[in-house]
Amino acid sequence: MMKLFTTLISAIGLAVALTVPALAHKVVVNAFVGGERIEGEIGFSDGAMAGGTPVEVLAEDGTKLGETMTDRDGAFVFVPTRAVTHIFRADLGGGHVATVRIEKADLPATLSGGTPEVARPATTAPAETRAIDAAPPVRPVAASEAEKAAILEAVRQELKPLRREISALKEKNDFQAILGGIGYIVGVFGLWFAVAARRRELRAG
Amino acid sequence: MHIVDGALSIPVLVAGSALAVAGIGLGLRRMPIDKIPAAGVLSATFFVASLVHVPIGPSSVHLIVNGLAGLVLGWAAFPALFVGLLLQAAFFGFGGLTVLGVNTVDVALPAVIVHYLCVPAITRSGPRAAAIWGSIGGAGAIALSAGCVALVLALSGEEFVPAARLVILAHAPVMLIEGILTGAAVFLARKVKPELFVVFATPARGV
Repeated sequence: MMKLFTTLISAIGLAVALTVPALAHKVVVNAFVGGERIEGEIGFSDGAMAGGTPVEVLAEDGTKLGETMTDRDGAFVFVPTRAVTHIFRADLGGGHVATVRIEKADLPATLSGGTPEVARPATTAPAETRAIDAAPPVRPVAASEAEKAAILEAVRQELKPLRREISALKEKNDFQAILGGIGYIVGVFGLWFAVAARRRELRAG
Repeated sequence: MHIVDGALSIPVLVAGSALAVAGIGLGLRRMPIDKIPAAGVLSATFFVASLVHVPIGPSSVHLIVNGLAGLVLGWAAFPALFVGLLLQAAFFGFGGLTVLGVNTVDVALPAVIVHYLCVPAITRSGPRAAAIWGSIGGAGAIALSAGCVALVLALSGEEFVPAARLVILAHAPVMLIEGILTGAAVFLARKVKPELFVVFATPARGV
């Protein structure tokens, strides 16, 4: 028995050693508001992106708000028209379903019918000042609408790799998680073994 | 092999959970005390194996090793694989909590089936023939699991044939690898510990 266990444990060790660079195989979906659009990405956590996948856009009560499609790199874009929480859902087949929510409060402020309670101080971002009718917008000097749009676009482009890195970081399985899981297993089965042994002892008298 | 939250219909989830609870209960009752450490080690193997990726085309699939767990543990594979799945959901976000029951049945039921199909032959024959039966068990468990996943998806409204084709094709390399792996493990066990399968095959008094 000991030999088998030693073999199995070394097999586990080998598996751990092999897997450190490998990523988990699960669906990764990511969505964020950029300007007046909602942009997102769908893929697998091993880096493969889900290209050409239809994405359903649903409201919280299940009504369909629209539909979009991922491009070759698994990215999708949706222009929201209603001020409700948006839920994006894509079925990648084989039991892989991706869902992501964009809360009402995070929707672009330019959205018609935007609720007043989500209005933020008019100075936070130029994009938000446009639609808010409370408080006259504070206009930064010498920046036309076109310039602002260009700046926002540039900032979005700059943020893209950062967002990717953050979502990759979220999916990372580090050593601690693996060792922690094995620790739990050893603990659970050890406890069980102890209970079983105790019962047997009691029964034996 | 992990179905995620939200992919299945409620009746399928309920039925899967009920079956899983029954299987775990049976596994716990049939677990002789000597088998508990083996169950722990195989549970840990299963837990870690899901991180070993086999790249195929644009995507990749991971090892499962439920065949080996089934061959050694029989019904006790249910609790062992359940613990592995629970921790995978908690630590890695594989699958999810609502689908835990269905996922447990998808991996543990094939393990139990290959136990009953292959263990008699493994104990009867010499190490070489046993290794072949072990390979059949290892690969067969994956094929059956893929079939279960496709069936569960079909019950939730997906078309069975395309779903099954997708899942089984994706797992063909895993079947090959696990066939070899399980065959080697059985060969080794028969050489160094021939009574492993015999001891575990005898009905237990329960604990």
